[in-house]
Amino acid sequence: MSALRTSRPARIGQYLALLAYLVFLAFPFLWLISTAFKPAPELASLHPTWIPEDPTLGNFRQAFDEQPLLRAAANSLIAAVSAALIAVAVATPLAYVTARHRGRLASAATGWVVISQAFPFVLVIIPLFLILKNLHLVNSVLGLVLVYVVWSLPFALWMLMGYVRAVPAELEEAAAVDGAGRLRTLVSVTAPLLAPGIVATALFAFVTAWNEFFFALVLLKTPEKQTLPVVLTHFLGAEGVADLGPLAAAAFLATLPSLVVFAVLQRRITGGMMAGAVKS
Amino acid sequence: MRRILTAAAALVLLLTGCTAGDEGPDDGVVRLRFQSLAWQKESVDANRQLVDEWNATHPRVQIDYVQGSWDSVHDQLLTSFEGGEAPDLIHDASDDLADFAYGGHLADLRPLLPERLRADIPARSWETTTFGSDKGVYGVPFLQEPRVIIANRKILESSGVRVPTPEKPWSWTEFRQIAQDLTRSMGPGRYAVAWPLKEPVSVSLNLGLSAGGRLFHREADGRVTVRFTEADAVVPGTIHDLVVTDRTAPRTTLGSGGSDTLPGFFAGKYAMVPLGFAYRQQIAQQAPEGFEWTVLPAPAGDAGLTQGVSPQTLSIAEDSPYKKEAAEFLDFFLRPENMVRLARGDWMLPTGTKALADPSLHTAEDGWATGAAVAQRLRPAPAQSVRGYPEWKDKVATPAFQEYYSGAIDAGELRRRLVEDGNRVLARYQRK
Repeated sequence: MSALRTSRPARIGQYLALLAYLVFLAFPFLWLISTAFKPAPELASLHPTWIPEDPTLGNFRQAFDEQPLLRAAANSLIAAVSAALIAVAVATPLAYVTARHRGRLASAATGWVVISQAFPFVLVIIPLFLILKNLHLVNSVLGLVLVYVVWSLPFALWMLMGYVRAVPAELEEAAAVDGAGRLRTLVSVTAPLLAPGIVATALFAFVTAWNEFFFALVLLKTPEKQTLPVVLTHFLGAEGVADLGPLAAAAFLATLPSLVVFAVLQRRITGGMMAGAVKS
Repeated sequence: MRRILTAAAALVLLLTGCTAGDEGPDDGVVRLRFQSLAWQKESVDANRQLVDEWNATHPRVQIDYVQGSWDSVHDQLLTSFEGGEAPDLIHDASDDLADFAYGGHLADLRPLLPERLRADIPARSWETTTFGSDKGVYGVPFLQEPRVIIANRKILESSGVRVPTPEKPWSWTEFRQIAQDLTRSMGPGRYAVAWPLKEPVSVSLNLGLSAGGRLFHREADGRVTVRFTEADAVVPGTIHDLVVTDRTAPRTTLGSGGSDTLPGFFAGKYAMVPLGFAYRQQIAQQAPEGFEWTVLPAPAGDAGLTQGVSPQTLSIAEDSPYKKEAAEFLDFFLRPENMVRLARGDWMLPTGTKALADPSLHTAEDGWATGAAVAQRLRPAPAQSVRGYPEWKDKVATPAFQEYYSGAIDAGELRRRLVEDGNRVLARYQRK
């Protein structure tokens, strides 16, 4: 136990490092919030302040007046939730089989998963576009969801395999000894232990799809179907000029769903992961 | 299990509900997709109003307005063209059209456009959208912006320097001298001029035309080569001297975009900022109360106020089955009175001669008159139709100009890189 004890200066150093990391992570977001509430002259001030001197909701009003943010948010939500659910539904059994039944096929599959992560967007977008066009899935949310599922599946699979491996096979063997069938074991023993991993993976797929820009830009043609990241670019002009206030306001609102989902589920994820980890 | 099945069924229903394709009803109405890059409220409003007016009077040809983004338009169009799903009507800029025109993705507008429109826009503007050996026209240039100097009126007037006009502009030599006078009168920590040179190549080349610079020369065999003459060195040399030798321009803004220099401009740290004409809108919106600004012409050289521009354009996709209808819409959209509305919405200048003559574009307020006065001197940006120019710009010219303006390399090294390294890049694109 004494090996885990750290000296006071080291502890202070750790907290300082943690604080610096938190500031590093939080700075852009806090600046975004500050910008969202500043009127135009304050945005062009040589000495910008953290707290807006003359806070305004005008940027939010302008953002909603000029762009269909609610419709775009609804489109993003449908695409992201669908992609997350489908990705998890496909990846979970696949991860279980690949992790539990190791063989050449499983190794080849996991190898392919790793390799598939190396392909950049630009390499696949035109072939993907042509395939979806032949399937009449260009300019459809279903087409976009399929792309998101395919895009997030390898990493989701990889993530879930780790969670499956962390569940001791002895627990399943014990259930079998107690007379439980394979399905019963999976549902009553493995699934509850995997739940935090499944939630974490779903979160990953959700956030990936929620933030994704390029596929949505290329695949969705009509304004009624555009997602939030695409609509946000409508506040940008040529040569990097931006309508900064409304852009910040809209971007701030766009980050809220991810934050809320994380805030609500984070405790369950860590709680679930730790449950039963040590004997009490 | 039942809950899972219910959720899955709901998901399927939700997605299939969102999956209606983009094929409109078969009611005999022609529907054209018009992707506009207008993004500021005034500009979007002007575009939408014109589309609404057209739709109200043309029930058989309806326009669907789609807003695109300058930030991603090239990649988006490229993919759409390859997939055969491009918008029928395309808003872009002339310096982005070459690849699409050479790739056969844009319709040659010569047989489609009415004589009225062809005659209204000057030949020098049509040049910006003319590509290939057969001189096809792949876009209608309709809005353009010169680079002007936006100045703090109080600082300028209190310093006692001569204020330039389009009739009697500063020369580049005089500009350098005035920058020294202004910096001296402003006190320490302040500068006469801030150059936002995040994109140094277009600024250097476009303003370089004023001194007779061309940089790109078409040889007898049709190939294009880079030559860096004394005329080409005037504008880059002046900017370099302002920053490095005279210290009348700060080094810190060299990597900035135009918007980034505005806080310093409003605070009186910089007396002048060379910017595109459309930046006036941002200045009008963001300037603190009581801040007085004025628009001056860019300095002139041996070629007077000449400078290069890449106008905004409207094109028709080659794949569009309704080119004739699309051209009719362009004819309506770009009528002189409509071009004025579009120009005012975007704070730019129309290319059409009739629109440019509109009195509302010649008022002293917000510097419209200065822009309109230099409109006659705007020429196609050098090299925009040269194949390999984007690579030359990104790999050779941008770093070379950036290093030269910051003082890291001298004029000899700049010349060597632009010419020797540059010609190697261009040669790859011009192999026969």
